Amino acid sequence: MLEELHVFGVYLPAALVWAVIAGVSAHMLRGLFQRWAWFKLFGPAGIFELALFALLWLGLTVGADAFFNQGL
Amino acid sequence: MPSSIKDYDVIKRLAITAVRTLATVLVIGALLLAVHALWLRDQVEPVTRDGKVVADIVPVATDVAGLITQVCVHDNQTVQQGQVLLVVDPSRYTFALQQAQASLGNLRAELAQAIREDRRNRSMTNVVASEVIEQGQTKVEQLRMAVAQAVAARDLAQLNLDRTVIRAPVSGQVVNMTLRPGIYLTVGKAALALVDTPSLRVEGYFEETKLQRVHIGDPVSVQLMGVSGTIRGHVQSIASAIEDRERTGDEAKLANVNPAFTWVRLAQRIPVRVAIDKVPAGIRLVAGQTATVVVHSPGAKQDLLSW
Repeated sequence: MLEELHVFGVYLPAALVWAVIAGVSAHMLRGLFQRWAWFKLFGPAGIFELALFALLWLGLTVGADAFFNQGL
Repeated sequence: MPSSIKDYDVIKRLAITAVRTLATVLVIGALLLAVHALWLRDQVEPVTRDGKVVADIVPVATDVAGLITQVCVHDNQTVQQGQVLLVVDPSRYTFALQQAQASLGNLRAELAQAIREDRRNRSMTNVVASEVIEQGQTKVEQLRMAVAQAVAARDLAQLNLDRTVIRAPVSGQVVNMTLRPGIYLTVGKAALALVDTPSLRVEGYFEETKLQRVHIGDPVSVQLMGVSGTIRGHVQSIASAIEDRERTGDEAKLANVNPAFTWVRLAQRIPVRVAIDKVPAGIRLVAGQTATVVVHSPGAKQDLLSW
């Protein structure tokens, strides 16, 4: 499990870093998706962005845990 | 407009609404699942970034006061149990021992004389008054006690002299060693610290909410701050009590409970002691280092599905 990230000399909780990356990515992806008509099928864009943010956050967490595996 | 086209539009609108509703439900479901998984990962799994490398520290103090005449170790030196660390000026204690020995010899001579007198008086009961004989016996007893007292004083003087040589009480490493010859040491004041290196361990301060998933014997992985490589260990013990911050006063006094109760509360931290099993080559453990501690509960699955 990766719990800490070293960012410019400051040790931050990994969850915070992943959340920031996921939030920015979700917002950008929403802007991208909204250019396509089929995006309207997903219902309210806010809920989609929120779900995308949570899924990206989870994906980054799981990916980091798997890639930087420090467990047993 | 023909009715078939109208029907087609209605069906199309209904289909789009149904797809949107279904997609929205799916998106909300995915959101809830992701939040739940994140919650378990970050709030339930027994992981803490609040861990420390800990060792037992022995503050070495002198038992006799005096000037340091010899410093036998240097800072950060590894020493064995019984190894000489410092020598306090023994002159005063040598003289005290000589004085005690002389005093003891003097009393022993007096006792021998008193015993001889007593024996002589007892052999001449016809000419020596009973009172004198009793006084002689009393003198012998008093001198015997005085000799015993002098023996104790001599042993104490010898002990003090022996204690001028300060030895390592445990094997370990000397830290914060700044002593030099000529510095005056006072009794009981710590002169230097000795790290009991075999006692090196990791202590993870786990939130009380996560403690139920920590069991004695569970395998543990420890990551030191800024150090690559994982230290392996196992849960050795869990603290059985921590201080109650809301209540002051000792057992003999009435309880003084803090009347202020905050709306927002933080989970308290409970120390969990982790015994170190394996340290990767190249990793140096220093008591006080920050560590991230992950407990791997054998009962809980470690994969994504367990979330």
